[in-house]
This record gives sequence, structure tokens and C-alpha cells, in this order.
Amino acid sequence: MSEPQPALASSQPLVPSGILAMVLFIATEILFFAGLISAFLVLRAEALVWPPLSQPRLPVALTGVNTFVLLASGWTVHRALVSVRGGGGGLVQWLGATALLGALFLGVQGFEWVRLVGFGLTTSSSLYGATFYTLVGAHGLHVLAALVALLVTWRRAAAGRYTPAEHVGLDVCRIYWLFVVAVWPILYVLVYLV
Amino acid sequence: MLNWFPEAASSYAGDIDRLFVFITVVVGVFFLLAEAALVFFSLRYRRTEKRKAAYIPARTLRSMAWVLVPCAVILGFDLVIDAVAAPVWNEVKQTLPAADERVRIQGEQWAWRFTYPGPDGLFDTEDDFQLVNEMHVPLDAVVVFELTSKDVLHSLWVPALRLKQDAVPGRMIRGWFKATREGRYEVPCAEICGLGHTLMKAILVVEPPETYREWLRSKTQTAARAEVGHREEQG
Amino acid sequence: MTGAAHEEPTSFLRKYVFSLDHKVIAKQYLFTAISMALVGGLLAYVMRMQLASPGQEVPGYGMVSPAGYNTLMTMHGTIMIFWVAMPLLLAALGNFLIPLMIGAGDMAFPRLNRLSYWTFLLSTVVLISSFFVPGGAAAGGWTTYPPLSGSAALSGGAWGVTLWILAVALEFAAFLMGGINFITTAVNMRAPGMKLFDMPLMVWMQVAASVIFLFSVGPLIAGAVMLLLDRTAGTGFYNPATGGDPILFQHLFWFFGHPEVYVILLPGFGVIAEILPVFSRKPIFGYRMIVYSTIITGILSFMVWAHHQFVAGIDPRLATPFSITTILISVPIAVTTFAFIATLWRGSIEFKTPMLFALGMLGVFLLGGVTGIHNGTPAVDIYVHDTYFVVAHFHYALIPPVFFSFLAAIYFWYPKMFGRMMNEVMGKLHFWLTITFVNVTFLPMFPLGLMGHQRRISNPNFFEALRTPEVERLHDIATIGAIGLLLSQIPFLINFVWSLFRGREAGPNPWRATTLEWATTSPPGHGNFEVAPRVYRGPYEYSVPGRDEDWLPQNVSG
Repeated sequence: MSEPQPALASSQPLVPSGILAMVLFIATEILFFAGLISAFLVLRAEALVWPPLSQPRLPVALTGVNTFVLLASGWTVHRALVSVRGGGGGLVQWLGATALLGALFLGVQGFEWVRLVGFGLTTSSSLYGATFYTLVGAHGLHVLAALVALLVTWRRAAAGRYTPAEHVGLDVCRIYWLFVVAVWPILYVLVYLV
Repeated sequence: MLNWFPEAASSYAGDIDRLFVFITVVVGVFFLLAEAALVFFSLRYRRTEKRKAAYIPARTLRSMAWVLVPCAVILGFDLVIDAVAAPVWNEVKQTLPAADERVRIQGEQWAWRFTYPGPDGLFDTEDDFQLVNEMHVPLDAVVVFELTSKDVLHSLWVPALRLKQDAVPGRMIRGWFKATREGRYEVPCAEICGLGHTLMKAILVVEPPETYREWLRSKTQTAARAEVGHREEQG
Repeated sequence: MTGAAHEEPTSFLRKYVFSLDHKVIAKQYLFTAISMALVGGLLAYVMRMQLASPGQEVPGYGMVSPAGYNTLMTMHGTIMIFWVAMPLLLAALGNFLIPLMIGAGDMAFPRLNRLSYWTFLLSTVVLISSFFVPGGAAAGGWTTYPPLSGSAALSGGAWGVTLWILAVALEFAAFLMGGINFITTAVNMRAPGMKLFDMPLMVWMQVAASVIFLFSVGPLIAGAVMLLLDRTAGTGFYNPATGGDPILFQHLFWFFGHPEVYVILLPGFGVIAEILPVFSRKPIFGYRMIVYSTIITGILSFMVWAHHQFVAGIDPRLATPFSITTILISVPIAVTTFAFIATLWRGSIEFKTPMLFALGMLGVFLLGGVTGIHNGTPAVDIYVHDTYFVVAHFHYALIPPVFFSFLAAIYFWYPKMFGRMMNEVMGKLHFWLTITFVNVTFLPMFPLGLMGHQRRISNPNFFEALRTPEVERLHDIATIGAIGLLLSQIPFLINFVWSLFRGREAGPNPWRATTLEWATTSPPGHGNFEVAPRVYRGPYEYSVPGRDEDWLPQNVSG
């Protein structure tokens, strides 16, 4: 009987499984947001007045700044990958910076929500409020989930789990973070600007 | 097969029935051929001691043609069906002939409410009158309806007329029919609408124009009387 | 024993309950779904009894109220689609077969796989619990159209629909994990030498179904989230009073709902593609042609959804374009079906039970397929929409993959799953009873629909047009069929249990088949293959000229 060979190591995959799985998951997520956005556009096209006169306006400028905060976190998470590939230091710091930027983004969003609710914009006050909280809320929950994943990755990085040769876990987390970052400008333009 | 259908009672019922038969014949031929091939091959090529199976992986287009050519024929018939069917849909749902009579229909949990414009022919005027679960139309007249719903989805379904149209709250959907046979027809709701869905039923009365006029007159008088009474009460 | 990414467990709990092994998880899905199939079948029994003798007490259930009937038909549809068809065809068969067929030790993500099953089980508990909440389970149809489902005031129960949405969401999360796992496994875990076009068609079909599911489920989840918010947070997405739009939900639902049909059908086809070559000792006819037509089917399935809404109040100008795509989808489906029939041509056909069910699947499916053309033609749909004609059509389209393909698969892979053969005599009896009663149950529904019998009503006698001897007779026949169909499953269940203990020992390859799952022990041990297989050829090399044996396995060199 020949020496048993492990089936796993036998063929070198083109794309690591973790990354492929994340890409598939993101494809589903894109269609989820496409569903929400198309619903938003349909409801908005059917409305006579948008936004309704009685409802508060959205804080365009503050959220605009906040958009840059989130975009910056996309850059820092990318720096994290660059530093692990280069083998030099900085991975933990870049991941930490990303998490801080993400947390800041969520904090500002939360602050805005509290003010908007105070001004009378709620899920049940109008369809305008309903779509706003649903779209922005769905994104916020995604940022929160990505933040949790990022913190787990950060702890692992601090424990020295990622090397220049082996860092699929970090890459998976980075891809998801970048997805969450990339969705936001689309929502910002559609919900706040147009 | 056609004798299963309720007797046709609208101007377009015949077109829909003929289209049904046409499609049934076309797909029926393919259905029978495919079933025949399935049964014939199964029996003809059942295992025997003598014969071995042939090695036919059909890797070339030439051998795949045995499947692809019949499918191309199906594609052709598909397009024929589309071409034959489009004008019928166009006639029933996409065109709106000039109205002889107009009526508003509202579905609600669990009844059909019909609003007639009254003698002045205009809706939302004082001489409008309403009926619940009963609708009268004159024979051979184009009836244009404005369908809506008060609460949930309903579906206006008159089997004899081959008419079906969902009623959607918040939307007014125009449609039409021309009843060509006298009679009383049932108007169920075809879209699940809650507890009383089964019990939602109106009667459509198709009657000769003279009878219809008379009915209309009696209704408007009652409506007028009710209106007067109502005003006196308020005054 | 190597190959699995995890150690072989020793404790009972880790081995059989919280297992990471794809074969155990497959069986967990299998038994959960079969239990749910019995629930769904019993709901159908109550409905059929009520329709055959309206207003009379149903033995074992009692009186059927109109509200009770709405719950029965809603939960029957929901359970059969989401808790039977998908878990049987995708989760159970896919989990069991994909790693074995591609020569892998397990799934790419065994932990995700385990999480998938436990999420599914939780969804099952949530769904079943909804029967017992105040107001009862969901009663607005398996499509849960708002506004009916959007508020407790309109639909009668505060909890039913909310739990329904929750259960379906959990179920989708389970299948999302499963689908990602299936695709990743098929792409990355194939045995050395196995190219994409060496994969058995079952693997192709599972992957195609998973891709379709992943790409279609997002919009439905979006729609369901909005429905849930309408019910709980006071939003008015589907409520016209606040500017919402009920038809919006229909679009989001059917953008998923129609591809879902192919999510179920394709694995059903996959089963047939595996069984026909084995019992005709002939390669499948046009392997690549079937793969390509499957891909085209998948793409087209995203362009047909509005054919469910011809009379729903959408712009009538949309009907004809959607009708064209709908009718076009018959072409790739016909390619696959005809390729299956052509596989029989000049074969050497042996009528073992799996083969009978496979042939029966094709025979029954043809009727479901062709009647789809009627429904897909907008002008005809005006008449047949929401009648028993549609009910007949979709049972003829779904019972072949869900029932026939699944049973064919069980008879075929049972020896691999449990190491023993099922009884052939009981199997054949089961087949002939089943195919007879399927037709007795569902054929009468075509004429019922054409007589103008709308679906989802609890009592036809309320309508003069339906209070006729013909309607009554057809309902009686269908009810006898349904009872017969349920009773016909008794030989199967007996056979299943009896064979576990008394079945003939199967050996590794009882059917003399070529694919990799037959290249290991029955049942395969932990890690599946004692020696990692190497693949030299495509999956269906039967009766290769110039060889003594009429099968040439994928893993045999030379």
C-alpha cells in the first residue's frame, strides 16, 4: 500500500478558499444592497415630494467629512496588508488605525441619528425616514460586523499570527472592510446628495 | 378540453381560448414525442445478454445535433407562440376602447364595491351610487373599470369573461371588457386576501340594454331619495 | 486516513451530533428534511380532505376553518419549498456528494458547514413554533405578499408572519453558508487531475444551483427586512397610505422566487445525470452541452421573474418581453431533458429502482415543463393565473426534482451512505405506487383550473360554478391520490429502516459506477478516501470500446 497522501495539499488552488468564500459572500451582499437601493429608488420615484417638506434635512456636510473618515480607513487597511507583505512592522498599528477610523465613523453616524430622531425623523415618521434608517442602518450594521472582524484580526496580528507568506485571514478581513467602505459613497450620494 | 372552460361571455374570451388550444396543440406534440421517445428507448434498449451498450459520448456538434436540432425547432415554435400571443395580450390589457359604461370597482376585506357615476356620467358627483357584491352591465357594451383596493391585494376574477386583474391598494388600474352573453356570473377574488378570502364573491349581471337602463333608473331614484333624506337630516 | 481538515472525533456527541464530517451533516439535513416532508404531507392531507368534503371533520385534525385553511396552504408551500426541497436536494445531497465526487476529504469549511446545519435546525424550530403562537402561523400564502402580511391587523396574527420571516431568514443564512462552502469546495478541493470538465454533472448542478441561490437571495433578504420593519418598526415600505408600494415586494420576492425554481430543479437534474449512465451503461449524451445549457438556464432564470406578475398591476408593456424570456428558457431545459433521453438510445438499460425513479422523473417533468408555456404566455395567464391549473403545473414541475430525483438519489446512494443495499422489490412497489398516485393527485387539477377554480379557497361549494358533480369528482380523485401518495411512502420508510439493519452488504461499488464516490468504502470513513484518488478522465466512461469491463472509473489509470 502506497503512502497516504493528504488530499488537501495535492493541488494548489488559484485563489485561497477563504478569499474565494469572501468574494462569494460579497457578491451576495452586493445584491442585497442592490435590492435595498432599487427599492429606495422606486419608492422615491413614486413620491410626489422628496424629501417631504415637514421632515428635517440630512446633515450633508458632517456626513461628507465622515465619508472621508471611512475612505481613509480603506487606505489604512490597505497599508496593513502592505506592511505584512513587506515583513516590516506597522501591521498592528495600521489595523488599529483602521479600527479607530471605523469606530469614529460609527460614532458620528450614531450622533447624527440621535439628532435626527430629536428633530422628528423616525422610521415611522415618513417613507423618507424609513428608507434613510434602513439603508444607512443596514450599512452601519455591516460596518459594526466588519469592525468586530477587524478587532479579531487585530488581536491575531498582535499575537504574531500573520507572516509575509501566510496571511489569508488578514486578507479576507481586508476585503470585507474594503467592501464596507466602497458601499458607503454610493449610499452617501444617493441618500444625502441626489 | 374546451368544454371544461366556462362558456365564453366576453368579446375577447374566444381569443384567449383559441390561444390556449393553439399552445396545447403545439406543446402537446412535443410532449407526446418526448414521452414516446422516453418509453420507446427504455423498452427497446432494455438489457439483454446479447447486446452491449454503444459508446456515444456526443462530444462533437455533429452528434449533439440529435438534441440541438429538435431544440432549435422548439425555439422556432416558442417564437411563434410569442408572436401569436402578443396581439391577444395587447387587445385585452394594453388597449382601452372607448367606454360605453364606466364603473369603479374596489376590493376590500371581503367584498367587492361597485361605484356607478349615475345619470351625469361623472364620478365624485352627488348622483353617484354604490353597490356591494352586485354589478350590472349592459350586453355588448364596452365597460371600462377603474380597479383599486381599500386594504390588501385582491384579484378581480370573472371566469366567464376570461378577465382577471389584481386590485392594488394605492393604485388605480384601468381595464375593460365587453360582455357578449346575458347571464349572472360569479366574481370571486383570486388573490389570497385573508380570513374571508373564500367568501369574497360578487355577482355580475349581464342584461339587455333596456333592462339595464331600467335598473339604472331605479337605482338612481333610490340614490336621489337617499341623498334628499340625508340632506334633510343634516338641515 | 487523511484528507479531512479536522481530526477524527471520538465522543458520541462530536461524532454524530456536533459533527464536522460532511457525511454526518448531510444525514442530519436528510433526516430533518424528511421529518419536515411528513409535516408538509400531513398538511396537504388535511387540505385535500377539506376540499373533497368541505365542512366535514377531517379525521385526525378536526374542522378546517377558513383561517385554518389559509395557514395549512401557506405552511404546506413554505415547508415543501424551503424545508424539504432545498435541504434535501442541496444540503443533504450536495453535502454528501460534492466532497466524495471530487475526491476531497471534506468540505472546504467544515465548521461553517456545521454552523449551517445548526442554523437550519434553529430555523426549523422557529417555523414549527409559529404553529403554537397566538393567532397561529403565517396565513398569507408562501409568497407572503404585503399589505396582507405587512400588519397584524390585516392578516389576523401578530406573531405568525414575523416568525415566518425570522425562520426564512435563518434558513437562508444556513443555505448561504452552504452555498459558499459548496462552490469553494468544488473550485478548490478537487482531486489531482480532475479538471472542471471532469466533474460529475451533479457537482456542476450543485455549483450552478448555489451560484443562482447566492445571486438571487440578496434582494429577497432586502425585501424581507423591509417587510419585517413594516411589521415591527412602523415603516411603510409596502403600505400605500404612507407612499409605499406593495408591488415592490413582489418584484423582490420573484427576483429570488423564480431562480429558486432552478435552485431546486438543477440538483434534481444532477441526480438524473448520474443515474442514467450507470443503468444504461452508456456515457451521458453531450456532457459539455448539458453544462452549457445549465449555465444558460441559470442566466435566463434572472430575467423571467415578472411572469408571476402579469396581472398583478405591473405596466402591461412589460408582459411580452418577460414572456419571451420565460418561453426561451424552455430551450436550454429542453436541451438537458433531450440529452437525458438520448442517453438511453442504444444503451443497455436495467430497471433498478433508482433508474425507475430517474425515468419517472423525466416522464412527469415533461408535463410540468410544457404547461409552463401556457402560464408563461401572458394572454393565457390572464385566465389560468391563480387557478388550479397553476397548482397542477408547479407540482408537475417540482415533484419530479423534489420527490422523484430525491428518491432516485436515496435508492442510488443509500449503499454509499449506509453500506447496505435497499430492497429492490419494495423499491419497485414504492415507485409504481408513487408515480401512479402522483398523477392521480395532480392530473385532475388541470381541468379543475380550466373550469375556473381559483386556488387557495377552502370551500369550492361557496361558488355556484364550482358546485358541480365534475368539480366534486375531480376533488375526490385528487384527494384519493393524495392519501394514496402518502400511504405509498410507507414501503419506502420500512425499506429505509429495515435495510439499515438487514440490507445486503453493498461493498464499495455495487452499481459498477465510475465516479469517485464509488472508489472508497461504503460508508466512507472519516476523511473519505484511504488513499487520495487521482483522476484520469471524465465521469461517464461506460462501455468504452476495446475493454472487457463496461465501466472505466475516473481514478483508474490506463
